[in-house]
Amino acid sequence: MDFIDILREKAFLGREFLTWLWFKSNQSGGRVEIPGKKVLEVFFLDRMTLDLSDTESLQMVTLKGGQSELREGLAALKEGKKIEEVRISIRATENDFTMVLKGTWFSFGSFRTPPILPADGSDVDDGGEGSFLEKAYLLEEGLENIDALFEYFVKLRISEEWENIELPALRKWIENSLT
Amino acid sequence: MGFLSRSVSIMRYGIRGKIEGSFWDVVDDGIMKNAFREIDTSGEEVGLGWVSIDDFTDNQFKGTSYLRGNYVALALRVDTVKVPPRILEVNLKKESKKLLEESRTQRLSSSQRRELKDRLKEKLKSQVFPSIQVFDLIWDTTKGVAYFGSHSIKARERVEYQFKKTFELTLIPLIPYLRAEELLSEKSDRLILEKLKPSSMVP
Repeated sequence: MDFIDILREKAFLGREFLTWLWFKSNQSGGRVEIPGKKVLEVFFLDRMTLDLSDTESLQMVTLKGGQSELREGLAALKEGKKIEEVRISIRATENDFTMVLKGTWFSFGSFRTPPILPADGSDVDDGGEGSFLEKAYLLEEGLENIDALFEYFVKLRISEEWENIELPALRKWIENSLT
Repeated sequence: MGFLSRSVSIMRYGIRGKIEGSFWDVVDDGIMKNAFREIDTSGEEVGLGWVSIDDFTDNQFKGTSYLRGNYVALALRVDTVKVPPRILEVNLKKESKKLLEESRTQRLSSSQRRELKDRLKEKLKSQVFPSIQVFDLIWDTTKGVAYFGSHSIKARERVEYQFKKTFELTLIPLIPYLRAEELLSEKSDRLILEKLKPSSMVP
């Protein structure tokens, strides 16, 4: 399969990941435990776009505001839409990362890392390399957190547990949240 | 600025291909040959190439300044000139009138009109300030991953082309499916992934 075919036919994977992540985060008050790895705090913030990813017709809904507005997204999930774009916060130990994560491209907008330390005198001597490496390290730490969550999802998604346990629980969450 | 800003945009790329010969010699040679240059041909693009990530006027990279630890840090500078459409229209009308009077005809053919338009665009280009865009690119040479500082399709196409031209390596956007393939080490798992169909999440 060439790249364009993969992009078109497998776009659902990113959208299902974001939708599942909302379920996971919502169920545990934001605490997502990646078995055998780490615990991350994942919060869905003030912006979410959902669409019908698996059809040709473009039907999008964009929600902005607090948690109560985002809850309207559950009604969109019930109509078969999935999350295409969301602003989330991910916290691991002391470091907090926020970003707008896009499902289809797996791209990261408005990606905020913890601040880098103000340059001391030594940074001038190394041409700013210290600040650069610190920022690069923080960016990679943020991306590794996303990857850890995504890997957890992918391994579940290809297992029998997905159809037998996870997917029914996700559907139940949508149903119960709307009643 | 760019990647050092508090808030950044990132498109993550995997890198496909292999550098033939001495890695750092090829990298250095590629960057120097494809550093920012003014372009003296027709079209809106009047300058293109790599510049320092710290200073978009620096295309010299003295002391291999693009090298930061294991990273190659660059910025792609794109200078474009766009003649404002109404300025073009005013000049096109004036020149068309002149041409019609000279040739004593009623109207210009579509090809004559197109030719005139292109000629005027080139002539007027020199009177317009270029727009300068700068997009950061960080290449982690250890992991074989690159981070690009824009989501714009046009900017992405430009950097993908420029990267290929510079290093003869291909940038592949790490979309979820491709990232999933990388994260699954077992071949049997990747086969299941390949056959996955969308799940309905409707209760």
